[in-house]
Amino acid sequence: MFKKTLVSVALSLGMVAASATAQVSDDVINASFFPYKDSVPSFEGLQVGMTINQGNVEQFKDILDPAMYQFIAQGDTEIKVGETTSFDLHPSYVEATRKYTDGVTLGEKVGQISDHQAGRPFPQEPSLDDPRAGEKLAWNYKYGYNWGDSAVIQPFYWKFRNMKNAKVERTIVMNFNFLNFTRRTSTEPTPEITPNPSNMFRSIYMKVLEPFDLKNTQLLIHRFQDDTKLDNSYLYLGFQRRVRRLSSGQTTDAFLGSDLMIEDFEGYNGRISDMKWTYKGTKNILLPFFNHNDMPKDEEAYKDDEGFQMIAYGGKGNCFPEVTYQLRKAYVVEAEPVDENHPISKRIHYIDAQTFVLPRNVIYDRKGEMWKSFTIGQSHPDHHLPVNKGTGVSIDDAVTMIDVQANHCTTAQFKGIVDSSLSPPDTFTVQNLRASGN
Amino acid sequence: MTEHVKHGCKAIALAVSAATLIPFNAVNAAGNWSGFAENATYYRDEVGLSKFRNTVQFEFQNDIASETFRSLQVNAIIRATYDGVYDLNDDEFGEDVSYDYLGADWHDNDIASQVILTPGVPVPCENDPAQCSALDGYMDEDSDEIRFPDFNDELDFVRELYVTADLQLAGDDVLSMRLGKQQVVWGKTDLFRVLDVINPVDYSRHNIYDELEDIRIPQWMFTADWRMGPNNVFDDSNLQLVWNFDEFRPSNLGTCGQSYRILDAGCFFTSSVSSDYLNAVLGSMGMPALYSANVPIIHDVQDPDWEIANTQVGLKWEGVLGDVTFSLNALHYRQQLPSLHFRALAPGAPIPAGDGVFDIEFPRVNLLGGSVDYYSMAMDAVWRLELAYTEGEELPRDTDGHRETEMARYVIGFDKNQVIPALGTNSAFLISAQVFGEHILDHVEDMPNEEDNWIATFLFKGFYVNNRLSPQIIVAHDFGGKATAIAPSVSYIVNNNWLVNFGANVKLGGDETFPWAVAGGQSVYEPLSRFTNGPIGVANNEDEIQLTVRYSF
Repeated sequence: MFKKTLVSVALSLGMVAASATAQVSDDVINASFFPYKDSVPSFEGLQVGMTINQGNVEQFKDILDPAMYQFIAQGDTEIKVGETTSFDLHPSYVEATRKYTDGVTLGEKVGQISDHQAGRPFPQEPSLDDPRAGEKLAWNYKYGYNWGDSAVIQPFYWKFRNMKNAKVERTIVMNFNFLNFTRRTSTEPTPEITPNPSNMFRSIYMKVLEPFDLKNTQLLIHRFQDDTKLDNSYLYLGFQRRVRRLSSGQTTDAFLGSDLMIEDFEGYNGRISDMKWTYKGTKNILLPFFNHNDMPKDEEAYKDDEGFQMIAYGGKGNCFPEVTYQLRKAYVVEAEPVDENHPISKRIHYIDAQTFVLPRNVIYDRKGEMWKSFTIGQSHPDHHLPVNKGTGVSIDDAVTMIDVQANHCTTAQFKGIVDSSLSPPDTFTVQNLRASGN
Repeated sequence: MTEHVKHGCKAIALAVSAATLIPFNAVNAAGNWSGFAENATYYRDEVGLSKFRNTVQFEFQNDIASETFRSLQVNAIIRATYDGVYDLNDDEFGEDVSYDYLGADWHDNDIASQVILTPGVPVPCENDPAQCSALDGYMDEDSDEIRFPDFNDELDFVRELYVTADLQLAGDDVLSMRLGKQQVVWGKTDLFRVLDVINPVDYSRHNIYDELEDIRIPQWMFTADWRMGPNNVFDDSNLQLVWNFDEFRPSNLGTCGQSYRILDAGCFFTSSVSSDYLNAVLGSMGMPALYSANVPIIHDVQDPDWEIANTQVGLKWEGVLGDVTFSLNALHYRQQLPSLHFRALAPGAPIPAGDGVFDIEFPRVNLLGGSVDYYSMAMDAVWRLELAYTEGEELPRDTDGHRETEMARYVIGFDKNQVIPALGTNSAFLISAQVFGEHILDHVEDMPNEEDNWIATFLFKGFYVNNRLSPQIIVAHDFGGKATAIAPSVSYIVNNNWLVNFGANVKLGGDETFPWAVAGGQSVYEPLSRFTNGPIGVANNEDEIQLTVRYSF
């Protein structure tokens, strides 16, 4: 027995030593982070600059997700095809992947992962033979370089639109801040902000600026390293001048009356352990990736002193961002809630293979019928605000969540800024909610 | 110098002081303006119009460039209110109304209100100069002041005006200071106040039912928050000092004649004891009649003067420890509800002095308390707990008018969001319940308040049409008073500018009596059962339908 234990310890130590020294191979790194280095995907009849509309959509059905196909087929929108371009993530994140992720393994249960310091945990190509491939892709998203180590969206315009008559029912103006406490690669301090007594992984802070009835409403989400632990969420209501804790029921509720739930933020804003993840395959698909500076702008929503304007919307109900779509490699992953009382039956995520952001997501109701279509348009950082150039962040730039059953949508227009000075750590404290209130 | 001028000078001086600290060219003249205009029209059963309140509120916020401070900001809220009910329903409210007997709006007549006590005098400063003089400075609004409640001697139309400055300290610590007229909110309770006692409250606006945000009476205060952020133990930690240097103001209970008078206290204060009754008492004792006129209930309001020793100070330490957020609170303040001190005709005499039965005082109080909230993963719900222990409070009693007692108050709250598909929406319903408890440590038999009492509240709120349509029901039950308030309502957000709210407020109860020694121990309503019945029971005849329309900008 004693000898067996010794052998076990020795093996464990050996694995730790091996994982500390081994690096992910260049082939794996190049395939994962630079898939368009040598060639870009193609599809018969598809050309850069063309428009896919009701007249030719059948020809391109295979490179559209079901919701986009339906919208185009119905004549709700049409999309222009852009050139497939590489959205290189920050070199520090790529290097962290190379150095630290060889040997990262899943734990026994969903939501468990072995020591992971930084970078993309599973850069290897997923396999349909791997029953936990979907879960690994979910981890790659969770520990992705989504907004880098820290970023803000200010301002952030949300519009609630009636899709039938294009009437804007509500406009909410907010600021969002993001901060990674751990797994930081590009902004000091790396790899972790200390002290961090509760072992937080990430935090999101939001404050409403308009309209009057929601003004000063603030939301703070603390996400922990331990994925099995539920987020701590706090809400400050301006009219109560009080911080309230949120139960998780509110994270699956219509956030401020929009078509999004808190769990929808960034494509998926929950725990890995809340879902059953299934990898459904890899395919080339049209995804909203573009250069912000080259897209049509909304002349009415916002214009800053330097002339920055937000993406324009058109199509049925003005629910569709007027951006170009690229043919890109995507992993198709199905996420089914573990909780039988969850308001949805599943999400289908089309994960961009290079950046691991979630630009297209289709959500199904409890009966299994298509309920919502969620687009998160991505701008290349080098063709956005000057401050974003070279940040290696795929910038969330134009969102629409369309409730296909209610014929209603919520659009979100961004001014995303990757600048850590705008998100000091004390922004993400409960005390800041009180201090920033009335 | 009149009080009016003193208050005005103080407000202007402080505003100027704050302004002179700021370089003029650093202020963005445009700033950030917002606000609303609102009409609240309420209709009371068998009474008619009970509120026709028109409010315009402007809110201003401006960041100021500073090299010294990490951030510097000025905030202001200006509010103007006109309640037209006193012009549109002057048969029921205002200076011209008359009451058949004391408490006629909430109970039947009995020996106490028929023989011993006279009806209250509505708007005494219009109808009874002596009463007005006795109440000088407290619930003595004249007819213009009840119509335009923000325009008074205390310049309440300036609801808030303060400067906030954040100073970066060593490390990541921040010292955040706020100076000016403001609200400081402690605690986690809705509807009732346990720790949220720094600002007094204006109950004359709509009893206990308006948001506290709108009925707290802002005070001139200085607050300093030492924001320490996380350390090796706490995820967040903050120490707050509050110095309320404003002249003491009690809560406004509503002047007699106003449409909302919590506990009907305003009318009791302008009532009198019948001289016939008092002379009869003397006669039964074999003494000659001494009283030539009715004896007013209130002789004087002993309002503390402004001096440093009369200012109020508090300290709060709050933080986050894992899944728990907590606060520890200490406050030295004055009781904001009046305490009645009996004035005997002669030392030890059981009958009152001829020029008034009671003096109103506001004793000093020390409070120690704390709050905790905790998210339970197992229940997917949030528990809230709030506790306060006080010493120095004075509560009413049959003999001698009052008794000093230690008090313990607590609230246990439970909040859960639950999706209920059967109710036709995918949005979660907010289910919130709380129990407010009060324990009188030095309770005696002749106190109208029970030694232990509880008020339970329940809120059920739903959201439809992208949260624009929101029905809710609030139920509050006072166990001691055997009184219940039921308030269903529906609000509809038409667009970013327009909001309509339609509701009702129905009360049950108000039937409790108290054996009053002056009435020979008979169980009567006046004057002590107002405390037994509480704010819900005393308002038992105030069943209303309520319509509010707001335009925000």
